[in-house]
Order: sequence, then C-alpha cells, then structure tokens
Amino acid sequence: MDLALQLLFTGIGIGAVYALVALGFVLIFRATNVVNFAQGEFSMVAAYLMVVGIEAGLPYWAAFIAALLGMALLGAIFNLGVYYPLRHRTYLPVIIATIGASILLANSVLAIYGPQPQVLEGWFETPGIQVGPVYLDSQYLLIIGVTICLVIFNFWFFEKTLLGKKLQATSQDKEMASLLGISVSTMIMITFIYSAVLGGLAGILVAPVLFVSIQMGSTIALKAFAATIIGGFGDVAGAIIGGLALGVIETFGAAYISVPYKDGFAFLVLVAFLIFRPQGIFGERVAEKA
Amino acid sequence: MPLLEIRNLVVRYGEIEALRGVTFSVEEGQVVTLLGANGAGKSTTLRAISGLAKPTSGDILFDGKSIAGLGPEAIVRMGISHVPEGRRVFPGLTVKENIMLGASNRRASTSEISREADAMFDLFPDIRKFTNALGWTLSGGQLQMVAVARGLMAKPRLLLLDEPSLGLAPVIVQAVFKIISEIRRNTTVLLVEQNARMGLSVADYGYVLETGRIVLGGKPDELWGNEAIRAAYLGGHAKASA
Repeated sequence: MDLALQLLFTGIGIGAVYALVALGFVLIFRATNVVNFAQGEFSMVAAYLMVVGIEAGLPYWAAFIAALLGMALLGAIFNLGVYYPLRHRTYLPVIIATIGASILLANSVLAIYGPQPQVLEGWFETPGIQVGPVYLDSQYLLIIGVTICLVIFNFWFFEKTLLGKKLQATSQDKEMASLLGISVSTMIMITFIYSAVLGGLAGILVAPVLFVSIQMGSTIALKAFAATIIGGFGDVAGAIIGGLALGVIETFGAAYISVPYKDGFAFLVLVAFLIFRPQGIFGERVAEKA
Repeated sequence: MPLLEIRNLVVRYGEIEALRGVTFSVEEGQVVTLLGANGAGKSTTLRAISGLAKPTSGDILFDGKSIAGLGPEAIVRMGISHVPEGRRVFPGLTVKENIMLGASNRRASTSEISREADAMFDLFPDIRKFTNALGWTLSGGQLQMVAVARGLMAKPRLLLLDEPSLGLAPVIVQAVFKIISEIRRNTTVLLVEQNARMGLSVADYGYVLETGRIVLGGKPDELWGNEAIRAAYLGGHAKASA
C-alpha cells in the first residue's frame, strides 16, 4: 500500500508533464486542425535554453523566465515559418512541415550541444520531504503544483475571458470568426505562442528528473500524443486526464510488471484505446464541439 | 450617393464564373432583396461584399469607397455585417457568448459588450431563456435569431442576410421577418431569399439574379406585377418554400 501511494505520486508527477504537452497538442489542433509534430521539441529546446541560462550564470528563476520568453519567441517564429505560409493548404503539407521543423530543431540543438546529455539541477535545494509513508520529491511537487495552476489558468482564460472565447470561436469556425472581425491570424499566433510556452514549461520541469537530451522531445511527445488519444482527441480536459492517467499507468506497470517495458505500457494502453474506444474517454464531447 | 454600389462584379471560383458582371445599388435606409434560384449567385454576391470571395473584376463601393479585395475583418470594421447562410453559430459557445462576439469589430469593454448583448434579448425575446445554452443545442429558428442578433452586435450600417428563412417552419419564418422589419428602422439591409414572397414583403426594392446576372430590378409590386417573372422566379418558389 505504501508503495502504491508512492507510485501514485510519482505517476501523477510524470503524468502532469505529459498533460502539459498534450494540452499544447490539443490547442494547436483545435486552432489549425493539424497535429504539431514539433510539440515535443518545444520541451527539448526549452530544457536546453534553461541549461544555457544556468551556464551563463543566471539565477534559476531568471533562466526560467528567459527560457519561457525564448519559447514564446520560438512559438511565434514557428507559426510564421511553418504554419502561416501553408495555412490555405490541406492539413498534409502542414503536418509534413511540422515534422520537418521538429527534425530541424533537434538537429540544430545537436549541432550546438552535441549528443552528450546535459544535467539540469532541480529548482529546490531540498530533495524532498517525507510525509508518512510517502516520500514527496520536491521536483515532482513543483511539477504538480505548476500543472494545477496552469489548468486553472487555462480554464479561466478560455472560459472567462473574451479573448478566450475568440480563440474558441476561431477554432470552431475560422470563416465566421473573420466575418465578425476577429483577427484569425492573431488568434492562431496566440495559440502557437501559448502552446510553445506550455511545451517549454513541461520540458523545463521534467528536465531535472530526466536528462536533458535531444531525444527527450520525441519521447515526451509520443507519450503526450498517446494521452490526447486516451482523453479524446481535441478535448482539453481529456488531454489533462489522459496525461495523468498515462503517467500513473506506466509508473505502476514499471513497478509491478517490468521496468524495461516502462515505455511500452503507454503504447499498449494507446493501442487498446484505439481498438476499443477510439473516441477516447471524453470522445462524445469532441463531436459536439467539432 | 447609394450606401452600397456594385459595379460590373465578376467572381470566379476556378473555372466557374459565379457572377458575370453584376451591377446594382442599395440606398441608405432601404431593405433590398436579391431573389433567384439556387446557384444564381446570390450568396456569392454577399460573400464578395463581405470579403469572403475575392472579386475577379468589377468594383464594390461602400459609402463611396472601394472595398473590393479587402479582407472580411477589415470590411466588418467599416460597418458591413454578414449573417451567412447556415447561421454559423459557434456550436461550442453559449448563446450569450456568440452574441457578444458579434461586437469583435469594434472597441468596447467586455462589460459594455455584455450589457449590449443582454439588451439584444429585448429584440429577440424567444432566445432569452437560452442565454447560457451551447450553440449546438438550439433549433434552426433559434440559431437564426442568434445569428441575426450576433450580426447586429457589430452595429452595422449595412446588414447582409443570407437565406434567413431556409429550413424554418412557416411560423418561425414569420417571426424572423418581423424582426427584419424592426431592424430596418436603424439599419440598411441587403437580403438574399429564395422565398420570394417573404423577401418582397419586407423589401423596398428587389433584384432578380439569374446565372450570375441581374435580369430585373424593381419595386416589390412591379416585380409581382410582371407575369413572366412571377411564373419563372417568384410564384413557383413562393409556393414551393412558403
């Protein structure tokens, strides 16, 4: 039982990272009808930006803010360079462009930093605290705390502000949004910046737990993608719950069944969902929002 | 000077010439209706005016200024609001939110827009009780009310209405046209209708479109009086869809 509680905590912590990246997937998908295959690279680039900032002697918080600003800029450039020129084409050229951008980002970082993984320290000096039988790792606590704040912010932003409603309107019917005077290109720009920052935040938060490596982006992206399928593609709540569920499932799977197959459990669940419930947990609601 | 002047407008979709030189005008304060069969180019005319379709040639003058080729976001800011075919109410947003977004073309605070949206329910009392219902839950008539209310939130000088009666039960059509006759007190309206009888009942002037050309224009009673026209474009459709 103690072990189960410990695993639940760790699972939710790692699942929160998947949830943040999955949220980025969903927001871009809803705004552009395209899956952004470079979403994972946003996490990877942000982790490297963080390493650069720390190496340059910035305090942790300053490096953190600088990295997020860098991600906002990357999101804007990504929109202008990858999505915007192809926005009137079908989804296929756009998807291929995001795959291309993902390869470009990974190899640019590889060219600068080499294949050697980097180490990023956690935010806190204290490694963690013991609460009863469960050891709460400080970095996982931070991840969970930030994710909770972001989920609340996300809800407030999309449900309670007029700008959030304009973003939703744009994702539901671009032509009608433009007829009302909503600047569709601005809304899509905001979506890309926001999603890049979300992905970046996930990367920075998870970096002290994993190593900072070129491959971390694709690993996180695959898990986050699986999370969006499990939650119901295109659904915000589904992405978050799918991410958390996936984190918990793979942590338990690793502990009770097999450690080497840890990554395999995520995909086993993904395949099971694709066969038995392709619409995901919140599938029906997607149809309503489509 | 007319509020809206269309000069020799040609619109092509690829190989297809949807409009082949359309010329007409709308005076300020009027309700003008465009009549014609399916595929005659009525919707394309509205889409060209609101910027959704790019004119191949010809000109569109609004208040004396050319707006041909401008984007929809720019055109709605100038005061032309387009309520398109199919209502296009955002399914995942509430009625109130849909209506509030109609003010996206002008600068106003959220609380101001919220107050204006509430006031809109005085004109559309039938949808007041659906204020917080999501768009997809509404019926066709309710959607049409929301779409028109949203279009009016732009405070347009010219309102473009595309087939407001399409797919609605006769009693709902009556309600929609009653609203159009209210709107006309403050706003110029260009109305596209297949239901010629309803269109002419509220209009000051009507034009008949046929395969991308205006073939006839006149006051409602003149158009009704023309036997050949009545048989070809008006009577038949009025019976079929009323």
